[in-house]
Amino acid sequence: MKTFTVFVGLCLVFVFVWERVDMVRVGYQIERLKRDKTMLERQRDELRVKFSTLSASDRIAKLATEKLGMSPPQQGQIIVVQSRPRNVRPSSDVVPVELKVARNYLPTGRL
Amino acid sequence: MTGSFSRGRRYVLLLLFLCGFGLVLSRLVTLQVLQAADLSAKADRQHQKTVSLEGARGTIVDRHGKLLAKNVEVRSVFGVPNAVENPVKTARQLSPILHVRADELERKLRQNRSFVWLARKLDPEQGRRLDLLSIDGIGVVMEGRRFYPKGPLLAHVLGFSGMDGEGLEGIEHRYESYLHGEKQTMVLQRDGKGRTVFPKGMTERGPTPGHGLTLTIDEVIQSLAERELEDAVGRAQAKSGTMIVLDPKSGAVLAMAVSPRFDPNAVSALGPDRWRNRALTDAYEPGSTMKTMMAAAAIEERVVRPNTMVFGEHGHMTVANTVIHDHERLGWVSFAQVIQKSSNIGAAKTGMALGEQRLYRYLQAFGFGQRTEIDLPGEGVGLVRNPKDWGRRSVASISMGQEIGVTPLQMVSAVASIANGGVLMKPYVVSEIRDADGHILRRISPQVKRRVISPETARSVTKILEGVITDGTGTKAAIHGFRVAGKTGTAQKIDPRTGTYSATRFVASFTGYVPADSPQLAMIVVIDEPQGDAWGGAVAAPVFSRVGEQVLSYLGVPSNEPVTLAMALRKS
Repeated sequence: MKTFTVFVGLCLVFVFVWERVDMVRVGYQIERLKRDKTMLERQRDELRVKFSTLSASDRIAKLATEKLGMSPPQQGQIIVVQSRPRNVRPSSDVVPVELKVARNYLPTGRL
Repeated sequence: MTGSFSRGRRYVLLLLFLCGFGLVLSRLVTLQVLQAADLSAKADRQHQKTVSLEGARGTIVDRHGKLLAKNVEVRSVFGVPNAVENPVKTARQLSPILHVRADELERKLRQNRSFVWLARKLDPEQGRRLDLLSIDGIGVVMEGRRFYPKGPLLAHVLGFSGMDGEGLEGIEHRYESYLHGEKQTMVLQRDGKGRTVFPKGMTERGPTPGHGLTLTIDEVIQSLAERELEDAVGRAQAKSGTMIVLDPKSGAVLAMAVSPRFDPNAVSALGPDRWRNRALTDAYEPGSTMKTMMAAAAIEERVVRPNTMVFGEHGHMTVANTVIHDHERLGWVSFAQVIQKSSNIGAAKTGMALGEQRLYRYLQAFGFGQRTEIDLPGEGVGLVRNPKDWGRRSVASISMGQEIGVTPLQMVSAVASIANGGVLMKPYVVSEIRDADGHILRRISPQVKRRVISPETARSVTKILEGVITDGTGTKAAIHGFRVAGKTGTAQKIDPRTGTYSATRFVASFTGYVPADSPQLAMIVVIDEPQGDAWGGAVAAPVFSRVGEQVLSYLGVPSNEPVTLAMALRKS
């Protein structure tokens, strides 16, 4: 009985010590993961800003005009057309399908 | 004898033990009782670390969630001069990375101080290069830096924040209480190697980040407005320009452009004159665009109808010993033509028929002489004097847009109220406030200020303003396939030297809405001091047309004259 009590006591001490040691180990692990998380969040933020900078309308317009030789449509070049199936009569119930066509690029032949 | 010696030795040993215990006890009392507080604090300092963390400033996005302002953690570099062995070598190593002159860095590193900032808030690329170095006496701390990824786009509205992260201008300033993150001081446990440990029971909660803002601004519309305005200001060699695009039904600001622009990422070299949001701070004499409001008041009060005939006095009329001129020698014309031809004499006569009190009442009802209460800082009130301070010519002058100061925002709000069937809305730029997880904390709804005129009057005025585009002074504001309503304005500026109207300095403007029958956009273009052909119809109206056409296409607004594909092909 005495031996058993000492054994149980030693086990409890071991469990207590093991718990404390493991807690510190997990603490280090958490700290390392936190640092990784912070680094990744920082990278994510930098990439978001970079994406936003690169996708700015101003920049794309500048690239389109200066590098690709494109130009904004001039007055009257944008024509909004209504597309309606041939067998459907005009009706207020029909929802028109809007297409935007720059006049310069309208095909001369069949669509 | 032996027994007494043994007893003696035992006493000596006992005495020695007692002395030893006494010494230990006295030391314990010294450490645990007398020096307990000091030593406890010393121990805490060694295994505890107190850090002050600041929550990131909230992000700002446009109405489609496109990023306009965001905080990113970047490196700031400091030096500990006493710990730097070779200031000359260190300065030379750091200079090309920090973009600071070597002699300037050396001077800082030779100071007799324990801490000096060498460079704050570096670019991420600079930070990465710095990480490759390891120099004694040089340290790095992370700080939040505000980035405006679109550069100059919307800069006058966004404003900017200072080095310490506080909002100084624009939305950054107005919504400071929402945007700024909360500071939090945390006590961390660390081991002998300085590594952080979180013992049981310690909960770790980071600092609270600031709230995010969603704007009513559309990045694409803003970009179009800024581009066309910059082009117009450049072509006209003008001093500055302003353009506002509103949704007339809600008062939501879709774009607010000011030229010249500035980059909020680099404001240190610029002054307030450059970053002032002229769209809501600067008052100008509106000139003929004010005839729109005068016409609405006169029709609402049944002083005139669109077909009422008015005599144009063949271009000259004397009021209070001064002569009012028209640029066209008009005879009998309808009131609608008075507005379409922008007749000063017709407007003055109608205004005088309306009378001081009624004219003043409508000026106030349209929102002139008072703030629109837009959620941006620095808004001006303009200048509308009380009728008791008016001179004999004031009614005539105000009716044609003189003797009155308005801001572009006041003017476009007033015009938008006509587009909105006579109901004045409160303009606004922030539509939602969100927490860091994206949950909506507050949604800002459109706010009606008051009804100014009846829907019937609004329809009559719209029809008159459509005539300005088809047969009047605003033909260059026409948009292919859409009915446009608007009014030109060309106002002489006061010459500060003589105190009289200048013959060479003008403010050219155009304000209106489109499509006229179901307005989606209310816009104003104001060009300050254009050179050459300075008429509002020549300088400002084309900007309205170009921006309007592209924005309507972008929004997918069906045209008033829908064409089939076959018709489009025939046209081409």
